[in-house]
Amino acid sequence: MRTLTAILALGLASVSLAEKVTTPLPIGIAVAQTSNTALLGQEQVIGARFAEKYINARGGVNGTPIRLVFQDTGGDEAGAINAFQNLITKDKVVGIVGPTLSQQAFSADPIADRAKVPVLGPSNTAKGIPQIGPFIARVSAPVSVVAPNAVRTALRLDPKIKKVAVLYAQNDAFSTSETGTFQQTAKDQGLNVLTVQKFLTTDSDFTTQVTAVLNADVDLVIVSGLANDGGNLVKQLRQLGYKGSIIGGNGMNTSNMFPVCQQFCDGIIIAQAYSPAQPSANNQLFVKEYSAQYKKAPPQFAAQAFTAVQVYVDALKVIDRKKKLAEWELADLRVELNTQILAGKYNTPLGVISFDKDGEVQQKDFYVAQIKMKDAKTGTFVFLK
Amino acid sequence: MTELLQNLINGLAIGSVYAIFALGYTLVFSILGIINFAHGAVFTLGAYFTYTLVVGQFENNGLIKGINLFPAGSPFHGSAWAFAAAALIGAVLSGLVAVVIERLAFRPMRARGADPLLALVSSLGVALVIVNLIQILVGAESYSFPTDIYGDLKPALIFSLGGKLIVVRTVQVIIFAVSMVLLLILGYVIGRTRIGKALRAVAENPGTASLLGISVTRFIIITFFLSGFLGGLAGTLVSTAFSVAGPYFGVAYGLKGLAVIVLGGLGSIPGAVVGGLVIGLAEAFVPAEYSAYKDAVAFALLFVILLIRPQGLLGRVQIQKV
Amino acid sequence: MDFLQTYGFLIVTMLQQGLLGLSLYFPLMAGQLSLASPGFYALGGYIAAIMLTAPQFAGWRDALGSWIFPVTWLFSALASAVLGVIVGVPALRLRGIYLALATIAFVQILQVLSLNLSITGGAVGLFAIPQAFGFVDRWQYIWIFLPTVIVVLLFAHRLQGSRVGRAFRAIREDELAADAMGIPPTRYKVLAFVIGAVLAGVVGAMSAPFLNTWNARQGTFDASIAFLAYTLIGGSRSMWGPLLGGALLASLPELLRSLADWRLVINGLVLVVASLYLPQGIVGALGRLRRKAPPQRPVTPSTPALGDTP
Repeated sequence: MRTLTAILALGLASVSLAEKVTTPLPIGIAVAQTSNTALLGQEQVIGARFAEKYINARGGVNGTPIRLVFQDTGGDEAGAINAFQNLITKDKVVGIVGPTLSQQAFSADPIADRAKVPVLGPSNTAKGIPQIGPFIARVSAPVSVVAPNAVRTALRLDPKIKKVAVLYAQNDAFSTSETGTFQQTAKDQGLNVLTVQKFLTTDSDFTTQVTAVLNADVDLVIVSGLANDGGNLVKQLRQLGYKGSIIGGNGMNTSNMFPVCQQFCDGIIIAQAYSPAQPSANNQLFVKEYSAQYKKAPPQFAAQAFTAVQVYVDALKVIDRKKKLAEWELADLRVELNTQILAGKYNTPLGVISFDKDGEVQQKDFYVAQIKMKDAKTGTFVFLK
Repeated sequence: MTELLQNLINGLAIGSVYAIFALGYTLVFSILGIINFAHGAVFTLGAYFTYTLVVGQFENNGLIKGINLFPAGSPFHGSAWAFAAAALIGAVLSGLVAVVIERLAFRPMRARGADPLLALVSSLGVALVIVNLIQILVGAESYSFPTDIYGDLKPALIFSLGGKLIVVRTVQVIIFAVSMVLLLILGYVIGRTRIGKALRAVAENPGTASLLGISVTRFIIITFFLSGFLGGLAGTLVSTAFSVAGPYFGVAYGLKGLAVIVLGGLGSIPGAVVGGLVIGLAEAFVPAEYSAYKDAVAFALLFVILLIRPQGLLGRVQIQKV
Repeated sequence: MDFLQTYGFLIVTMLQQGLLGLSLYFPLMAGQLSLASPGFYALGGYIAAIMLTAPQFAGWRDALGSWIFPVTWLFSALASAVLGVIVGVPALRLRGIYLALATIAFVQILQVLSLNLSITGGAVGLFAIPQAFGFVDRWQYIWIFLPTVIVVLLFAHRLQGSRVGRAFRAIREDELAADAMGIPPTRYKVLAFVIGAVLAGVVGAMSAPFLNTWNARQGTFDASIAFLAYTLIGGSRSMWGPLLGGALLASLPELLRSLADWRLVINGLVLVVASLYLPQGIVGALGRLRRKAPPQRPVTPSTPALGDTP
């Protein structure tokens, strides 16, 4: 069997010819542009496109412009693998930003890792992503560090909170792991979790969950879900007469929720991995230019995609200073780029970030914000210190 | 007791959403014997049409971005009547789309005498086209109607019974009432009018119907228009309860809708309503600790019903042709 | 070489989807339209993923080395056969669209279960699945899938000529007559269903390492309908139909990749046009070309081939 294995594996041993890096420097973006995951993916596309313009307007990588190559992953695993393969061999990118979903990352990231191409996950938050391999890192902080702050803040705003209801989207990888953290934090803070309700991200009617919450008579509701389902849930909670505090998980950190729950969004406390209020000069410039173009503050998914592109550019700048990028072989540059990414420190819209040896993001600042609705359509995330 | 009552209300509320979705779905099956997967997409379109009339503004991600159709405020916004007018226009437009779908995707197939199952594939193709066109035009984000479209109705009715709260959302009472009214109208049209008799004749045997001088094509067009109209109206109503939740909004109901119409009896119009309410109630009575398995309930019910009574709860027994 | 790297995954996916199309063909040989394949595909994938990643099976993996992969195929085949009998015996009393719907319900129930059990990894699923026979590149999986395709085609060919195959055909043409001739329909229908289930299960087991991960999104309603499209667009009367249909339809979104946002619109249009102009499927159309035009039969929409309602 072993010899057979060896023969099969050798088969056509991959002999990749030495290739130079092309200019403008190609960076791959593999996110969901179609399918129902596109709700998240389209924000990442905007964030990345914005980064390309922003960075090239400031001289690119020490004078060499970058060029983003978009390959649609769709919402499934096979689509993500196809997009990665295209970026790696056909588009010859130096590194990849993507994919949108953690499930897709578990499928496609190993492909890039085996091909020794660096990957930065812009939105994959499940446990185990950076551990896929040495070439896999992410700029999206795992849930365990984002969620607890929100509970502490809610308690500070209303110290009388004792009874809690927890709700989460059980078919969403992010929400199921986030709710674990929320429930643990609630217990650690001495709160009494009276009911835990599950729903699906595809649900729209939450009367059953809401009546359970109302009858438990709680004074804090913690929701882990995404914009649509989370927004609808909040709307129905308020319409049916719930008066207490509401915490929304990081999946609800998007202005996409405003059209769903409208004025009922008001007052939700949101755990944020990104806040437009983050005071660094970099972020404020980013927010200013983004708002000028899109008439709203950048959402977290766009900011994270921007950050991923920026990390590539900053790391490439360092490498370029040592040896001109045009002189690198593509394969060597990819390896060097990966090493440099993990070594560097980056001043991004997310604040100062770096990576640990696995490629897990080390983010200093997390935020808690409260939604303030000006009218039915426009609202803002007000930063809570 | 209060819990029972609340579950009953919840079940009827969600069940009427399923029912109103399924009405147009089952209508096409009753006449043509095909399952039209594009129904979910037409349902979505209805909601988008009405939204365009009432609000007319779209976000950043589609080709139509930053356009405001009604800078001076939409004429369809301001009173419940204006909204009702918009919903009707949206439903008529959806009906017309359904007629176009019939012309392009179903009629040529009938002319060739193709396997009716191919209609599944063809209508799936149509659904893909519609859903993705919506996404390209207006993006994948959700849109919501203004909260005052139903005038000054309170958002919810809340009673207290024996210290426990009983709650019901106004918009769900509206959906329930509308689905009942539509059922009655449809029942009357099909059961009592000449159009209905002709439709039934077409459903029974298209060959004989055309011998009797009934224009089969015309009645199939009427069927599709009605189905699209009902679908579009349902889409608008359901989206006022939740939101116009992206291009895949209606498609998500397609599968549950399938369970509903089979449970009620394929092609049976009262069956669609009964099936919807039964599935809604079954889901509502799933105990909270097993709520994660809620979605399996509809399908377990479907599986069992199919085994015991394949014609569905209200379907007619068909004689096996050998 | 670059070509294989870029498109190797796609080529193997075409074979894999072709096999899944074929898994519908076996029940169809006996006239049964079952859409249960995604359920067995998911089951097979989970069994392989669990055996390849769970710590409880570490001993097996150490002892068996690369032999663990064929062992996962075997276990998936066995589990699919058992479940196939359990589901098939009651469900195969139904016909036509009712059987199709019952099997869709079965797929949905399995999906909800896999989303909720801890052994299947919940919403995230199972990941870090080791690579079969130390494969590195996706195209190398052709060494598993291509022989499987050949074996399945040979098997289908032999089956058609065998006594069992003739019994299937008799049931497909006329169940009552077959029964009268002493062919027990239920037994043969369940057999045909189980063959399809085993094939789908084994393909699932082979696909788990191929996709690197396995989760509840693998066996869905969408897949049921996709497989139905493979069979109908490819042609349901010959074993080449579902194979060809699966390979072509699975590759379509990739061939249209350069259209970016518009590719699914075009994909949808292709489905519509294909159903309109290839009513007998691709293989049916090719066959007609070869045999020249057959005598024109009057069009009788009241006698459908597959969608026979009871």
